[in-house]
Amino acid sequence: MKTKRHSLEKNEQKMALWLLLPSFVILFTIAFYPLGSVFSKSFTNERFASSQKTEFVGMQNYQKLLSLKITKLEAVSQDSNGTIIYEDPIDILPREPFRYKEISQFNIFSNHYVFSATDPAFIVSVKDTLTFTLLSVALETILGMAVALIMIKNFPGRGGMRVAMLVPWAIPTAVSSRMWEWMFASTRVGVFNVMGQWFGITNGQFPWLADPSTQVWAMIAIDVWKTTPFMALLIMAGLQTIPKGIYEAATIDGCNGWKQFTKMTLPMVKDTLVVALIFRTLDALRVFDLFQIVFAQKRYSMASYSYYQLIDNKLMGYSSATSVVIFLIIFLFIILYTKISGGVTDE
Amino acid sequence: MIKFKKFLVLFITLLTAISFSTFAGGQDEMASASTEDAKQTITVAAGAVGMEFTLAEEAAKTYMESHPGVEINVLQTPDLTTDRLGLYLQFFQSKSSEVDLYQIDVIWPGDIAEHLVDLNQYGAKEFTDAHFEAIIQNNTVDGKLVAMPWFTDAGLLYFRTDLLAKYGYNAPPQTWDELKIMATKVMNGERAAGNQDFWGFVFQGNSYEGLTCDAIEWVASNDGGSIVEPDGTISINNANAAQALDRAASWVGTIAPDGVTAFGEEDARNMFQAGNALFMRNWPYAYSLGNGDGSVIKGKFDVSPLPSGKNGMRGASLGGWQLAVSKYSKNPELAADVLFYFTGYEQQKKRAIVGSYNPTIESLYDDAEVLAAVPFFGSLKAVFLTTVARPSTVTAPRYAQVSKVFFDNVHKVLMGESTGAKAVRNIELDISDIIE
Amino acid sequence: MNKKASKIFSKIIFWILVVYLFIYFVFPFYWTINTSLKTENQLLMTPATFIPVDHLTGEAVFSLQNYKAVFTNPTFINGLKNSLIVALSVTILCLIIGSFAAFALGKLRFKGKRFSLYLILSMTMFPQISVLTGLYAVINKFHISAIPAMIFSYFLFTLPFTIWVMTSFFKGLPNSLMQAANVDGATAFQSFYMILLPLTAPAMVTTGLLAFIAAWNEYLFALTFTSIEESARTVPVAMALFTGTIAKQEPFGEIMAAAVVVTIPLLILIYIFQKKLIEGLTAGAVKG
Repeated sequence: MKTKRHSLEKNEQKMALWLLLPSFVILFTIAFYPLGSVFSKSFTNERFASSQKTEFVGMQNYQKLLSLKITKLEAVSQDSNGTIIYEDPIDILPREPFRYKEISQFNIFSNHYVFSATDPAFIVSVKDTLTFTLLSVALETILGMAVALIMIKNFPGRGGMRVAMLVPWAIPTAVSSRMWEWMFASTRVGVFNVMGQWFGITNGQFPWLADPSTQVWAMIAIDVWKTTPFMALLIMAGLQTIPKGIYEAATIDGCNGWKQFTKMTLPMVKDTLVVALIFRTLDALRVFDLFQIVFAQKRYSMASYSYYQLIDNKLMGYSSATSVVIFLIIFLFIILYTKISGGVTDE
Repeated sequence: MIKFKKFLVLFITLLTAISFSTFAGGQDEMASASTEDAKQTITVAAGAVGMEFTLAEEAAKTYMESHPGVEINVLQTPDLTTDRLGLYLQFFQSKSSEVDLYQIDVIWPGDIAEHLVDLNQYGAKEFTDAHFEAIIQNNTVDGKLVAMPWFTDAGLLYFRTDLLAKYGYNAPPQTWDELKIMATKVMNGERAAGNQDFWGFVFQGNSYEGLTCDAIEWVASNDGGSIVEPDGTISINNANAAQALDRAASWVGTIAPDGVTAFGEEDARNMFQAGNALFMRNWPYAYSLGNGDGSVIKGKFDVSPLPSGKNGMRGASLGGWQLAVSKYSKNPELAADVLFYFTGYEQQKKRAIVGSYNPTIESLYDDAEVLAAVPFFGSLKAVFLTTVARPSTVTAPRYAQVSKVFFDNVHKVLMGESTGAKAVRNIELDISDIIE
Repeated sequence: MNKKASKIFSKIIFWILVVYLFIYFVFPFYWTINTSLKTENQLLMTPATFIPVDHLTGEAVFSLQNYKAVFTNPTFINGLKNSLIVALSVTILCLIIGSFAAFALGKLRFKGKRFSLYLILSMTMFPQISVLTGLYAVINKFHISAIPAMIFSYFLFTLPFTIWVMTSFFKGLPNSLMQAANVDGATAFQSFYMILLPLTAPAMVTTGLLAFIAAWNEYLFALTFTSIEESARTVPVAMALFTGTIAKQEPFGEIMAAAVVVTIPLLILIYIFQKKLIEGLTAGAVKG
């Protein structure tokens, strides 16, 4: 008996190797050189499409990218209203080896501080991307779950609804971004300004995409619209493996709707849900198309920031360092997910 | 196991077949290219679909008729400027000889000069005098002429002739202050008459390169310099520049819609063409569109140079496209010859008449046939002689960063988050960091 | 009585939700169709109209000029063909390769499972732009033509996802099925493609559909790889090349018409496959 099981296991190991080989070969071939060169270039000052000699600069790119500082600002005077005027950060922030630029000012108790960084655009892009990711993914999951629960019920017109449901995902991002951009237009050519006027929210001239307070929300709105179908579809696929019979049995036993959902449905779609969450979060952290098309250089996501460093500024070394940092941030998220969901495989 | 192995073998064979066909395909292309060596091929990366592309193809055809041994291939490139630049850079990075001639934006010569040939070495001198000097200067990097001007663009003031007459004005404004007065009066009048979407002045206020164009006009026309002077001095931190920016900020929400801070060229044109604006700052392309069929403003508008701020100074931002020869071209001499033809008198005249493209050859603005086809070109010559170029050549290869610093800070002023004085100080500090 | 009332009530809520969701998902697409039927003058109207309306007379009138422009654009038509080839190849190959790997990772016993899964995942942790330049350099060096280049590089983002989703499905299938087949004398591979694979049909359809759409809509890589090979351009690239007759003009109506033309075949595809989805599920519960 033992020998049979042993050889069975060996067989399985061998077969597993063969089955996995194509995937690994393909992925390795495509990714090896590009990803390897990203890592190595991040330690240089290489310029894109330039004959300038490439030099090894060690951690300099990372230093420039990630240096942060919180400095206290002293009060300088008081104006007529009694408002305290503080030092101008430009005067006191250090300039060597790189100039620290102000991001924001805040108060803790009675002390006034300025938060600064050597690359404020990147820091803000990280903050924006994280905000965008957390809010989008949360909304998409909840909405996707709701849609999935509705869609697995049998009702007339279900076929049509399933098609309607995938419309946002099917339209190319390039197109749906332009569409939403048009809808967000800052005059009454844009449907949101028209509707905003009906409900008295705006005067018909609100620049949704230029006002910093609404920019990220606009992005979230577009992404939620676009990606909820993706979540819904995956969750639906998971829901469909649950046999219907157990719900009837539960109802007979007196277990009602919400309890059925939390105690029965959720645990059984956990696996699919975790996969969906991981990939949605990965995609959201790497968001590029949306920000590039709608915002270009107005507001960056981490990935579009990397793009502009490469193409507009031709700073290949710096852009590569940005990519590596993005990778590390994403890696952290994955570790987080794994810890929370309790592992992916049973090994 | 046997069945599985069979499957796998089949699969790997399939994959290998595909890979071979890829390489084989590549070889075939190379083979056919060498047999066609009897004909020399020049590839031009110019324009996307539409008029630009058609005109480029026709120019290619005419050249090929008189030069039977040459084949010219016109390549479509994306219209989105960043995409196009990204593409060109990929070519340069791989030192590709696939493309011989590149259509480049007026702000690129400095950045990509090292990948372009010096046209003076190929006989450019006989042509350069005919073109506008400002552009030739813009295209000269370290003494090398890296691109020939092809068609140009400059910021213009569009105004509604009917409305100005209606409210008692007989000429477009000469100064920015005059513009504000006129705009306020007409706006109040039109609003009272029922058009609640009417505004006085629309321009490009979004946070992008277009804002650099508009803002440099405000600053230059107020005698505030041109951000970085041709000799490399950073001149932006001065009171005139700050005043110009503050003045622009005062228009937002008063004579210009609040949403103007998100406007690009098309947004401004949409508003003006729908009849909802008195003044517009835009490029010449909007002229023929405004006179198109079905336009409500057809025949009711005209153009003039932008108003002056201080001391009679005026500034129109220089735009336009140039043609350049790639250093990696296999046939630079032939490519240069094609280039001189494309940018020559005959072609520029044709493009002006057929497509309303602004020629870069000065004498064409006095040509009778051109003026018959596009009469408003007459008023453009004066504008093209007072253009202010963005400091792309002097700050190369860091112009993109310089411009970003500039338009970021200007946008903050327009949004009311900063003042002109603070902004220009920030700009000066940041630019000095960038160009060290 | 109470039960009946609450049943009707929940039915009403249900239908309100359905209608609301329908509007939410479809409205922007409706707006796209609306925009595509307008001429430029109609597009400039303020306030924007919900049906194409003549800007002078106010009566409903729509125009097909944008569609005409789209269909007479050879790059666009060619793009449809290219996109189909690329997307179809990627999807089919991805499903085959992916399900092999997923079966191994989900059902077979061996060391290094977790490591493999995460290694595969790590490929997708980089932003596309960082991979682009390196890939382009490789493609140029080996003179790989555009279409195979696109097919292979799209694996980078479709394969990991397919593998992960299918793995979780295979894991969810009871081991008893495989053991029973084993007893009957089937090899592991036979039980894979004769018994387990058909049961993962919903997952295959789902990931296949999502992979297809992802490949169909990809822009950046396609733009770069087809830059000199015009005949290989796909639909998103063709749409980016849309300009009006004059530079800087954005023919919004035409772009929207192109969007409609591009999306309709996808919607038809989805409709066909979602029927299969239902069939696959009602073909019997997996457990019990």
